[in-house]
Amino acid sequence: MSKVPVVIGVGRTAFGEHYELDPERLMEEAGLEALDSAGITRRDLDACYFSDYFLQLTNKIGIEEGFLSELLELHVPMEKSRSFSAALSNACFAIMSGRYRVVLVGGVEKMCDRWYKIRDDLMLLEDPWSYYAGGTPESNHELMLREYIKKYGLDERSLEKMSMALAYIAVKNHRNALKNKLAQFKVPLSEKKVLESRKAAGRLMGRYDFAPISDGATALILTDLEKAKELGLEGVAIYGFYSATDYITFPSREDRTSFVSCRIAIEKALKIAGIRRRDIRLVETYDQSTFLEMVTLEDLGFYGRGEGWKPIYESYESQSPHYEFEGGMLYVNTNGGLKADGNPLGATGGAQVYEVFKQLKGEADERQVKFDEDEVYGCSLEFEGFGTKAYVYIFGRV
Amino acid sequence: MSSEPIERRVSYIGDRLRGSRCRICGREYFRIRDYCGRCGRSSIGKMEAIDFFYEEGVLEACTLITEPTNKFKKLGAYVYGIVSFHNGKVRVPGRLTDKIVDPKNLDLDELEGRKVVPRFRKRHAVSKSDIVPTISLTFTFSDEYYPYQEYKIEPPKKEYESPGIVGYGVYVSKFRIREGSLERSVPFIDEDAVTAAVEAGKLALIHSGVDNSKIGKLYVGSESNPYAVKPIASKVAQVLKLGEEEVDTGVQGVDAIDTEFACKAATSMFKDATALAYYPDAQTSYVMVIGADNSQAAPRDEPGGELDFFVGYGGCAFIFGKEDVIAEVEGWYSCTSDTPDFWRRASEPYPSHGGRFTGEPGYFKHIIKAGRKLMEKMGLKPSDIDYFVAHQPNVKYPIKAAKILGFKEEQYLPGLQVANFGNTYSGSSPVGLASVLDIAKPYQRILLVSYGSGAGSDAYSFITTPQILDKRGRQKFTVRRQIESEFKEFVDYNTYRKFKEGL
Repeated sequence: MSKVPVVIGVGRTAFGEHYELDPERLMEEAGLEALDSAGITRRDLDACYFSDYFLQLTNKIGIEEGFLSELLELHVPMEKSRSFSAALSNACFAIMSGRYRVVLVGGVEKMCDRWYKIRDDLMLLEDPWSYYAGGTPESNHELMLREYIKKYGLDERSLEKMSMALAYIAVKNHRNALKNKLAQFKVPLSEKKVLESRKAAGRLMGRYDFAPISDGATALILTDLEKAKELGLEGVAIYGFYSATDYITFPSREDRTSFVSCRIAIEKALKIAGIRRRDIRLVETYDQSTFLEMVTLEDLGFYGRGEGWKPIYESYESQSPHYEFEGGMLYVNTNGGLKADGNPLGATGGAQVYEVFKQLKGEADERQVKFDEDEVYGCSLEFEGFGTKAYVYIFGRV
Repeated sequence: MSSEPIERRVSYIGDRLRGSRCRICGREYFRIRDYCGRCGRSSIGKMEAIDFFYEEGVLEACTLITEPTNKFKKLGAYVYGIVSFHNGKVRVPGRLTDKIVDPKNLDLDELEGRKVVPRFRKRHAVSKSDIVPTISLTFTFSDEYYPYQEYKIEPPKKEYESPGIVGYGVYVSKFRIREGSLERSVPFIDEDAVTAAVEAGKLALIHSGVDNSKIGKLYVGSESNPYAVKPIASKVAQVLKLGEEEVDTGVQGVDAIDTEFACKAATSMFKDATALAYYPDAQTSYVMVIGADNSQAAPRDEPGGELDFFVGYGGCAFIFGKEDVIAEVEGWYSCTSDTPDFWRRASEPYPSHGGRFTGEPGYFKHIIKAGRKLMEKMGLKPSDIDYFVAHQPNVKYPIKAAKILGFKEEQYLPGLQVANFGNTYSGSSPVGLASVLDIAKPYQRILLVSYGSGAGSDAYSFITTPQILDKRGRQKFTVRRQIESEFKEFVDYNTYRKFKEGL
């Protein structure tokens, strides 16, 4: 019987622009906080799993593990992945197998150090052929939205409602970020401003519909259930996780109005966790755009395909901080999401776990959600690329 | 700094839009695949090479790009989207080209669902010492300026005793600048001499119906090659798949070379093409000659800027051979002298101009000499000739030359295109010849006299055959269409300069 991975500590830096700080310093800050929050020291670590997309490009840093070894003065096994969720997967497998008992998972990104070229890098990462044809990091979001509207034959009234629902996603995420002192954008946003930015852009989505580029680092400490008990810690368990993969070139995908990788990952993760979808009341989506928050809620199975905008529009009308799902409340991106909390690629997944951990532990301060049920689960979705990879995690209290 | 190996692989696929088809299940792919994802190992060896270079696609969805990535910034605002081929069997990302986008007045709904044709263009900007990246994931609407045309290889019907032109193509951009009575063609910002050469060659293949693998030699004449060293011809040969294709190595069995002699770089090779097609042991069934230029000129307030009033942009390609000839080559005469009337040093961006000495000691001396000598040699009088075409740097010179040689308006006006396109340098007299071939009847005689500064002239006599009429229907993109198209777009002087400078 494999062991159950448990998160026993989390840490993160503020997201945004860290002009004065090297990536190592960001990593150090997040890592120390995670160790402290678990009440352990570096000597307790059996291994480290680390993630970043672009550090070699943005900071010419050399082998990341070497820096981590210096920071921690440790010579334990260390591995590097692209996204935080990918690093966490590897860490989970190691814990489940019993090979390691306590591991650190950390992610960092310094996108702002290469602000002048980062959009080219992002696009080449997403899909070189789309880049060669002139695509931008925003263009596939826009194309998917246009295909979505056509596929579901939205009439003018529905279109207006969906447009408002998408604007409300940005507004709601900014509202959440106002209560998150580590978020990148702690400024209120109005639907009017979102709509104006779209008009200025001449497109269905404007600058306030998209997540920013960010610097930041996140970390967590992972152990197994027995070890957590041994340490006298409750933690938050990972009951199920799964990832799936799709073609790199978005135009060549069969279905261009949803993410098949996300649909596969959630089904498998739910099955492994042995819970129902309605047990999930907290979701951290990969909202690189407002549209992605909406469409991935469909792909995660909370709403029917082509219908995701309806419950969101209702929330807009009542200005409620949650969406409705099967008679209960569904809280989405309570930290502000990628949109307002920030999106330092390699660290982003860590911020999602950080938020779910804090919420389930009741430590989310101002933004703490009051769940109706005792047994609630949180879920995170992280993409690499434009749905090229999808990682879904299901968390619950121990 | 770009990576040469990556550049080779990307343009090898992207320029021609190469793909694969599974012979078992019929699934198609953009990019070369050794096996089909659906059929797996059983499909190894059963994948056939396809490409979408001559195909018509559909713009499925599109969006406006106003904040491009760095290398695309010079394009300004543009439309980017998804293009499908073969009823959605294959979908690729693509950029609309030849389109000046006004973000405030763009209705994307109106663009979606429309048919498009791939166009070969520069991919994006690079630094001056880098390889110029190219791609055909750039599209224009096929119901606008540039039509969709099938490339149908026709088995030859008739062999001629003397070789001649078997097909031709003219490519002139849809953008124009109008100043006074002169209209001049202006490249779009992603065009250059290389893209014009490829377009012209493509159109010539379509018109001739000649099998591209039967072309044994290619000459590309130009004086505006973006490289001092690296031929345009290698790009044209690879993209148009001239000569036998060696699939395993990606090599084309063709001899491809650039030539340069100011504006006569292409016409000079007509005789070589004719001779090669005639020589039995050479086994070159067909020879392609292209003249293409993004005619260079310094801005008008700088030295050499007098050219800025006359330069155009475009390419013209001819295929020579012995089968299904539309105009036989009857004879030729060339002359050369070391006359420096116009030149460009290797490191200079713009040519220098001999001013008043470009006329008498340059243009007229050589054109008149070559024209007279050829007529003399062949025992022809001006009245034996139906059309006279001369190099056309402006409107005045070719008319004066025609009159000196004894030609009347009805003989020289049909081939005078400079007022429509400007001086297309290596493509100048070839475009004139093509415009005459567009309208000539069988058994008409055409006298062509080119001029290249430096200096020299080539005179040729062609006589049309009845097959000229058979092939006429195969080319929709005639010179007339390019002159009269309602989709022509006029630009102002600053845009013209910006477009000419390119990405």
